[in-house]
Amino acid sequence: MIGWVGISLGAAAAYAAFRVFAGYPARTGFATLARREIAFVDAAADTLYPQGAGLPSGVEARIAFQLDGYLRLVPPRMRLLMRLLFFLMEHATLFLPAPGPRGRRRFSSLAPEQRAAVLEGWRTSRRVPRRLVFTSLRALLTNGYVADPGVLRALGLAPFAIETPVCEADLLYPPIGRPKSEIRHRAVTAPSDGRPLDLAGPRHPAYVGSER
Amino acid sequence: MTAPPGELRVFAEYDRDFVETADVVVVGSGPCGAVVAKELACAGRSVVIVEEGPPFTPAEFEIDGARSMARTMREGGLRATRGYVMPTLQAICLGGGSLVNSAICVRPPDFVFDGWSEHFELERTSGKDLAPHFEAVSGFLGIAPTPDDVQGPRNLLFKAGCDALGIPAEPIARNVRGCRGSGECFTGCRSRAKQSMDISYVPAAMRAGARVLTSVQVQQIRASGSRVSGVSGQVVEPFTGRRSHRVQIDAKAVVLSAGVMATPVLLQKSGNLANRSGQVGRNLQFHPGTMVTGVFPDPVHPEFGATQGYQSLHFLREGFKLETFWSPPTALALRMPGMGIALKRRLAELPRSATWDAILSCHRSLGTVRARSGASLDPLLTWEFHPEDVKILGRAMSVLAEILFAAGAEKVIPGVHGLPDELHTPEEARILATREWRATDVTSGSTHVFCTTRMHGDPAKGVVDELGRCHDFDNLWIADTGVFPRCTSVNPMLTGMALAHRTAKAI
Repeated sequence: MIGWVGISLGAAAAYAAFRVFAGYPARTGFATLARREIAFVDAAADTLYPQGAGLPSGVEARIAFQLDGYLRLVPPRMRLLMRLLFFLMEHATLFLPAPGPRGRRRFSSLAPEQRAAVLEGWRTSRRVPRRLVFTSLRALLTNGYVADPGVLRALGLAPFAIETPVCEADLLYPPIGRPKSEIRHRAVTAPSDGRPLDLAGPRHPAYVGSER
Repeated sequence: MTAPPGELRVFAEYDRDFVETADVVVVGSGPCGAVVAKELACAGRSVVIVEEGPPFTPAEFEIDGARSMARTMREGGLRATRGYVMPTLQAICLGGGSLVNSAICVRPPDFVFDGWSEHFELERTSGKDLAPHFEAVSGFLGIAPTPDDVQGPRNLLFKAGCDALGIPAEPIARNVRGCRGSGECFTGCRSRAKQSMDISYVPAAMRAGARVLTSVQVQQIRASGSRVSGVSGQVVEPFTGRRSHRVQIDAKAVVLSAGVMATPVLLQKSGNLANRSGQVGRNLQFHPGTMVTGVFPDPVHPEFGATQGYQSLHFLREGFKLETFWSPPTALALRMPGMGIALKRRLAELPRSATWDAILSCHRSLGTVRARSGASLDPLLTWEFHPEDVKILGRAMSVLAEILFAAGAEKVIPGVHGLPDELHTPEEARILATREWRATDVTSGSTHVFCTTRMHGDPAKGVVDELGRCHDFDNLWIADTGVFPRCTSVNPMLTGMALAHRTAKAI
């Protein structure tokens, strides 16, 4: 009898764990983010930056892809904190359910309006730690959003194309991680003449065109 | 393995443990360390500069703000204080913060130094005493006011608003030659116009014979009795921080210019050196910054113009300084309230927006720097925003809103919890001046850090004397803004360099 109870409880626990922690779709092209994290970031990205207002949506801006690259650059301790943030936000709705039916699901499984209500709750909370969590999440997602060249292009804020003069220091320093035998330049060029950049002039090649 | 005079060593060239000898080893290549190194090398001393970060060339600059910070800042640019949670930054690259700051060079008014002298028993640190040192640094770097033709509308609107209200304002003096107004100071100047240390003082030091060891982390100051004999550390790989070969530098004098947050950690990890006063790592002060954005009816084209081109020093005695501001849109977008379509609409207004900031003199808001356990030099920072200083923050934001409306803004976005997301008239904006402020209502940030190894005339109350020599040692010196006894009320780089210039003359 106890064996059947144990088996039943174990099966229920396994099912619950599966519903909470597994069942995320596989994704390719990501080096750092786990599939659970990608699902959460995509859901949060389209809640913070939905379709409309003449700018790309969060998913169109490939926020998850940008964050995947960003996480590779930050130190391990910070990477861990970010992952904990994603984990917390993805699963907090199991304990603080979203409004409406079936609100006690992980964030990425909620309906769009439920996600918006959840994030709005964190944003406007009277509790400072909750607002800090929201601010941290929004900071990360916004970093990813404006890292997309298409967003800056749509905003009209693409960086200028600039011809970089070669100065004395450029004859001293090799590319990072390379020996001095690989210093790129052998002679200085005329320094900047202080001529103001032209607003109608060319913009940085990485931000020109329709490619993201 | 000893590097020849004028030699720069980079990570790819270290293949074994090694020992260097010098008259003076300077730990850190930021604005203060670079000045000390260049002056000593020009005086004929054998100098080694040790820098944990790598040299960056324009090909390695990241235009995207977050990626740039992840590569040039310690802790990926995500460092924050505990207590009051405030982001703060420390660079890790040749040239230190000068590579990624906005080149502001402001000389504090005399009342700042008079206050230092009065409260910290200093006898040779008046504005007049320091004048020759300010002039030497200013002359070398070509510091000059930002010219009008690279101000751009974003900066000139600030002048217009101040003029309309009768508030004195002026172009910001900067260490720049040939600025073209790209607004990219914070991610590295692709015009090579900014005279950051890596293209000014460090090459000058090398020409005078200084050796530069990059990608070397100093972990220990070697001391015996009242003298130090050098430093030891390890080679670290750029970006990953992986440690490898051991490095020892024997020197007749050691100058710590590792910055306000790393210098005290280094002293603590070296056996709590230079701390008979108990002041190492205490008295941490910031200039917390806050921003207000105004949206104008016509395009402002904020991406063009000097990153920070105009300022007002009018309110310094009240405890704040006002500046114009531009950064990669990452940082600006962070302060925008709301989410969803409302947030995107505000983002779409960025081309019609000007964001201006205030930095606050917060003498009453104090914190500490402590070493973490383990090998890391990353500090544990605590800091609390004093209620009286929070009131100054409210006053500063109120003045910024007034100037924005006077300049023609159709609305102002304060970014304050508990306030409307947008204020549409000067009358509505008065709430910034009249409300009860709590520190947690607004997110501040700060890159100006001070006082953790403060100077004091009394060895029982400070870490260094007014020339920068540690009270407890004959040949251990500190040259960074940690020696300030109080914050400067204005951007600290120039003052730090002037004090470092004086320290070099004293060594």
